[in-house]
Amino acid sequence: MATVSSRNPVLYRRRVSRGAKHLMLIGFGLVMLYPLLWMISSSLKPEELIFREPGLLPSKITFDNYTEGWTALAHPFSYYLWNSAVITALSVVGNLVACSLAAYSFARLNFPLKKLWFALMLGTIMLPFHVVIVPQYIVFSQLDMINTIWPLILPKFLAHDSFFIFLMVQFIRTLPRELDEAASIDGAGYWRTFFRVILPLCTPALATTAIFTFIWTWNDFFSQLLYLNNPDNFTVPVALRTFLDSSGESSWGPMFAMSIIALGPIFGFFLAGQKYLIRGMATTGLK
Amino acid sequence: MRSLKTVALLAAAALTLTACGGGDGGEAAGDGKVKLRFSYWGSDARQKLTEQAIAAFEKKNPNIDVVGEFSDWPSYYESLATKVAANDAPDVMTLEIRGLAEYSSRGALADLTGKVNVADLDQTVLATGSFDGKQYAIPTGVNVFAMFVNKPVLDKAGEKLPDDTSWTWDDYVKLSEKITKAGDGSTFGTEYTFNQVYLSMFAAQRGEKFYDNGKIGITPETIKAWWATFDQLIKTKGSPDAAKMAEIAAAGVEQSLIGTNKGAMGMWWSNQLGTLSKVSGSELQMLRLPKAEGASTHGMFLQPAMHWTISSKTERSAEAQKFVDFLVNDPEATGILLSDRGLPVNSKVLASVKDKLPPADQQILTFVESVKSELAQAEVPPKGGSKMEDIVRRYSEAVTSGQQTPDEAATKLLEEANAAIAG
Amino acid sequence: MVDSLSLKPEAAAPAHAPAVKRGRGRPQPPRGSLRSRREAWAAHLFLVPWFLGLFLITIGPIVASLYLSFTDYSLLDEAKWVGLDNYVTLFTEDPRFWTSLKVTTIYVVVSVPLQLGFALGLALLLDRGLRGLSFYRSIYYLPSLLGGSVAIAILWRKIFGADGLVNAVLAIFGIQGTSYVNNPDTALGTLILLHVWTFGAPMVIFLAGLRQIPGSYYEAASIDGAGTLQQFKSITLPLLTPIIFFNLVLEVIKSFQSFTQSFIVSNGTGGPTDSTLFYTLYLYTKGFKDYEMGYASALAWVLVIIIAGLTGVNFLASKYWVFYGDSK
Repeated sequence: MATVSSRNPVLYRRRVSRGAKHLMLIGFGLVMLYPLLWMISSSLKPEELIFREPGLLPSKITFDNYTEGWTALAHPFSYYLWNSAVITALSVVGNLVACSLAAYSFARLNFPLKKLWFALMLGTIMLPFHVVIVPQYIVFSQLDMINTIWPLILPKFLAHDSFFIFLMVQFIRTLPRELDEAASIDGAGYWRTFFRVILPLCTPALATTAIFTFIWTWNDFFSQLLYLNNPDNFTVPVALRTFLDSSGESSWGPMFAMSIIALGPIFGFFLAGQKYLIRGMATTGLK
Repeated sequence: MRSLKTVALLAAAALTLTACGGGDGGEAAGDGKVKLRFSYWGSDARQKLTEQAIAAFEKKNPNIDVVGEFSDWPSYYESLATKVAANDAPDVMTLEIRGLAEYSSRGALADLTGKVNVADLDQTVLATGSFDGKQYAIPTGVNVFAMFVNKPVLDKAGEKLPDDTSWTWDDYVKLSEKITKAGDGSTFGTEYTFNQVYLSMFAAQRGEKFYDNGKIGITPETIKAWWATFDQLIKTKGSPDAAKMAEIAAAGVEQSLIGTNKGAMGMWWSNQLGTLSKVSGSELQMLRLPKAEGASTHGMFLQPAMHWTISSKTERSAEAQKFVDFLVNDPEATGILLSDRGLPVNSKVLASVKDKLPPADQQILTFVESVKSELAQAEVPPKGGSKMEDIVRRYSEAVTSGQQTPDEAATKLLEEANAAIAG
Repeated sequence: MVDSLSLKPEAAAPAHAPAVKRGRGRPQPPRGSLRSRREAWAAHLFLVPWFLGLFLITIGPIVASLYLSFTDYSLLDEAKWVGLDNYVTLFTEDPRFWTSLKVTTIYVVVSVPLQLGFALGLALLLDRGLRGLSFYRSIYYLPSLLGGSVAIAILWRKIFGADGLVNAVLAIFGIQGTSYVNNPDTALGTLILLHVWTFGAPMVIFLAGLRQIPGSYYEAASIDGAGTLQQFKSITLPLLTPIIFFNLVLEVIKSFQSFTQSFIVSNGTGGPTDSTLFYTLYLYTKGFKDYEMGYASALAWVLVIIIAGLTGVNFLASKYWVFYGDSK
């Protein structure tokens, strides 16, 4: 007995606990994923069976929903994917540039009325979206931007989303001041410090910003419907809703199928982005 | 100094806002065409049909470029009202009956009297688009609210189709109970609905009008009697319990009991027949609603599915009228749209498309013709009427889930409903 | 020994030492000096896009909505000045306002700590030390991608509906459940779970925050013999406070404005019997279904005051528990 237990019990215990962890993570993951699995399974069922057969395993598999959904609207679905991709890509760039600039200023520099501006910055996201729709529409219609993508991307380039400014402020503030000072002693100006010292160390925050902007813009429905009301300009979320009609006939099968397809790009972006997400100070070798 | 500058900037920003006139004055497309904006809601299928109809119109009127502004139903009024508020209203707008008074009473709609040819339209239905003697809206087509019966489910329970000219609410409740009992516990006799039109018809059978001279014309007794049917259905298990019923109602047409072959009866607008037949794969029958004991009418009427309207602010009225006229009267347009926006009310159009209608619509047509002599005129909700659906549903939920007593709820419902249309 | 242990990480990480005084990192140059003028100048340059956005597209609509809250405005015709009427009605004659406030408060109070706790726990679990972590991270993030989708209403009914997954499991134990989504007593609970279920966003932020903690701190601590728990308490937690603070502030703001999920799951009604009538859903109903945008604007400003108050409290309290790397 003694010999068995002496065969490195620490290692053994660690392996067991690791196994348990994996088991827990997988089991929990399945619960989390149930709705998604149901959606995938439904997208593979013949449309009339989706609600008649509630089970997870389809009794009959068909790709009709995919082929039908792809071509059901005025344009093939790739058209809407492309529209969404353009808006989303520009939004990501806009948020990354504008919000990081503003965040550096708020986090590191001193200037008069800073606290007031900061409070105002946070205050702007406290007003519910629905009461500013109309005035905002008026602003964009004054700027003659209705039915263009400007109302969707201009706010991003003008750091309209305080969420990301505040996020980056918090990340920058976790960085020790000594870094800036060292750079300053080396003769670096504010711009160089920002670009060479702060930004590289904020990779996780930038990745977070990029990922969230991508997802939120990709899924943002109402402003895209409102500002791009011509069917030729439709984006993925708007196209997806046209499959549903609460007063008439809905195309649930194609809707599920195209929803799965629409998940592809955001999931892909997340996969690509998470590499940078975990490239923080921990891995940059900063002492 | 700095703060002064700030104030000035703020004021300037606010000014650009309040000076919100203008709009896109007489905008012409780059190629010299007149651009006409047309808003509507619906599904992918409707979008396709509508784009075809637009193309047909543009072919006949090469100088007009119609731009369809499409939205899904839940967001339709939000985006439309935003555009109207921003002085950027589409030239031609689709409105359904509950929105009519809201828009027309606030001067958002143009008077179409004599501007669009309505000679061939059913005049009782046409009247729903008229306020204070002015024709603000032209109906697109009609639906009728009826009892649908899933024949195979009924047969399986060993029951016969009831005689719908004479059946009463009691008969309906008892039949539902029997059907549930005959099943294995997964099928139900009926599913109920809180649809306001159901209450309207129920009241009409008792000689009451929902809207009566600027007030709610329904008595608390009628509302309580209406709720009593739900209560009986739940208690006798003729229908599922309140929570499950609420779930089914929220899930929509495709997941209804009839649609999934789990229920024998249910009340629906006629335009749902096609969908329900398709998803259930079963033969569905349309019946008159049951009657109150001793009532002389079933309270049925033809309800316009939607209305075409033109913005009062449009600078392209001639083109807009032409387009609406095309949609209402042109055989080519109606040949494309068929019954997508309700059964046509234009007699000439109806005659020309009759044979092209899909089987479900043929069935509706046959039903409508068989009850034609009993039909009353549809009620047009007054300003504030768009709140009614929500009020009726909310108190009905409270009663069926046992949160409020019928007495208390009926009083409150009437209070809130009266206040809604008083404002 | 224990004492020196708990002190050790600080020695290893002087930058994060819990600051008694939250001063700026270096002596401030005197006001008006060349250096401070240059700094202010640079700060404004960095803020140019933000200032442009503020004055061009942000401030105007905000001022407009404040003005509208004092009017009777239907959206379809002109706004009429009514003074404080909307605010008076709201506080004295509108039971649904109180209902929506109550529903929303319960939602925020229960779901925010749950969601953040969940997100933090998983972020710690998924941070390092296990094979296949990037796989798990992706899997756990998926629900958040679905959270606002139109399909969510159906999916949620598949779990909490009368014939849903929960009842299927309960049926094994002979318990007959109800439709949780549509029972007034449980509907809000399912929406809270839905919120917790989409914990992906704060989880990602936590993960990113964890990666900002230099590994050398842990090395130093473990050389000194600090255990996992000890390390968590004296390194991870303090250094993560700015991120925890961020998530807390933002989740409170966002949850008070929560709209989409209730709108989709309840079909825009807030039902059954107003049990999921979120504040912004009520506001939306007033503005766009009842054509009372003036009243809706008043509702919005009451919410702003509530949220601003809570955020203010959050910021004041943060002085006592949030430690920044830039403070000394």
